[in-house]
Amino acid sequence: RVFSSEVDWVSGKVFFRAAAGPGELRRLRSGERLFLLLKKHRPLPVSGNKGKMLHEIKSLVIEEPKHWLDIISVWRKLCGHKEKTDDVSQENTLTLKRKSEEETNTASKRQKTEQVRALVSEECQVEAGERCVAPERMSSQECWIENKNSSEFPSKGGGEDPTANEKLSFSFRVSCRCSGAIAKILNPQEIGRAIGIALVKQCGWRADLRDPDLEIFVHLNDIHSVVGIPLFRLPLANREYIKTAGLRSTVAWAMASLAEISAGALVLDPMCGLGTILLEAAKEWPEACYWGADISDSQLEGADGNIRTAGLMDKIELLKASVKALPLPSESFDSVISDIPFGKKFKITNDAQLLPAILQEMERVLRVGGTIVLLLSQDLRKRVDGLAECAGSDSPEAAADGDSGAAAAEALSVDGNSSPVAQGVGESFLRRRRFRSLVPAGVHAVSLGKTDAFIYKYRKVCAAGAW
Amino acid sequence: KIKLGHPSELPPEPLPNYEEDEEFLRRLHHVLLEVEVLEGALRCPDSGRRFPISKGVPNMLLTEDEA
Repeated sequence: RVFSSEVDWVSGKVFFRAAAGPGELRRLRSGERLFLLLKKHRPLPVSGNKGKMLHEIKSLVIEEPKHWLDIISVWRKLCGHKEKTDDVSQENTLTLKRKSEEETNTASKRQKTEQVRALVSEECQVEAGERCVAPERMSSQECWIENKNSSEFPSKGGGEDPTANEKLSFSFRVSCRCSGAIAKILNPQEIGRAIGIALVKQCGWRADLRDPDLEIFVHLNDIHSVVGIPLFRLPLANREYIKTAGLRSTVAWAMASLAEISAGALVLDPMCGLGTILLEAAKEWPEACYWGADISDSQLEGADGNIRTAGLMDKIELLKASVKALPLPSESFDSVISDIPFGKKFKITNDAQLLPAILQEMERVLRVGGTIVLLLSQDLRKRVDGLAECAGSDSPEAAADGDSGAAAAEALSVDGNSSPVAQGVGESFLRRRRFRSLVPAGVHAVSLGKTDAFIYKYRKVCAAGAW
Repeated sequence: KIKLGHPSELPPEPLPNYEEDEEFLRRLHHVLLEVEVLEGALRCPDSGRRFPISKGVPNMLLTEDEA
């Protein structure tokens, strides 16, 4: 989407280089947050000596003040025209809150682990670092509206003077996250504090833990040491077109992109809830028709509100109906995408028992060649996998605990005779139930913040009765 | 069959040559694509069963017996 080069990723982060403006970067859909990468190094050597470690870390982060000056001006140019008011030192210029944590020193970033190569190379996701945006591009953008803030650094005492010079103070906060070997020696708070103090000393900035102008993120783990600053005040995952949020928009978008929605397609979410999946899909692939069904009045009302806010009334149709008995003709949809409700939040009891009935209806309304994309909890997914075990599987993989990166299985012959060893376990389940017409087409692990979940994809290869 | 009680009434059945009837086509387009039923009902032509529409959303949940 942003024509990036040098794409590189590890679990939870994607690094890339792009010569794109903020407007374009803002349109990245499957990343939670976007950062400008300042440094990316090998993991720091770990020694038992705290003082030494802190010193190492500081030397990683601290630079000549001029360097920071440049960074700040780049950053300001990028965000400058996004800000409603231009006065950076004014707190709460934006009324919307950031999704980021309140705890100051630990950055609890929600990340999505992307296992599919194709998806990653197509779209840049999760946290991305953008290096060296071509300067020509930037100058052609609207120049910063903020005129009062010069890029000179205030003297150290500048921040404290309320009357004059209050505009010149620049506040910051360091958010640190560490894991792996480093975490055993130091905790994020110590690191954050040390870096913060050093920056104050060196650059004369003001530390503000509540609402800083700039937040500096430092991630230290066994894979790399990364320093970055966010490009936007709000996380990418915040959508201006969603009034009431349900499933997180990045995962919803990813599910929709797996569904292979083409122009003129009919797409159904039979347990649509607040409609997040349909909204993301309809925004990204507007040349299709979207239907949503749910049994809950309150959810449908929320969905209706979201659809109106997003201006997608003519694209998304809502029904009050049960996924176990859909009032829809057989083989009428090209895609069925759904986040199967789980957890105590939802009223559905024994949802795991309902799974076969749910899948049966989904399969029925799907046309041959169509796709099903489901979001399953760890529990549901075990059920799906475990059902294969009960039925006496012929595949040794069937009983395996869900591994988070089960690769896309190849389509099988419909009678299920061939059974390559590395079979996606979802396939065994379906073979034993009545769903021989559905073949697995991939499993992707995603993080929903506190929990993990799995996106399962299936394709219908023949009519239901044909086996 | 659509009962609207609406000025742009449609004839009970399409007249022959309806493809050329501009006025009819315009009304049909209006009803199909521009009218949103907020309160009303859908009726199954076979069973006669009514599915009420409330706030633009038809309720198509079946009862225990129907399912």
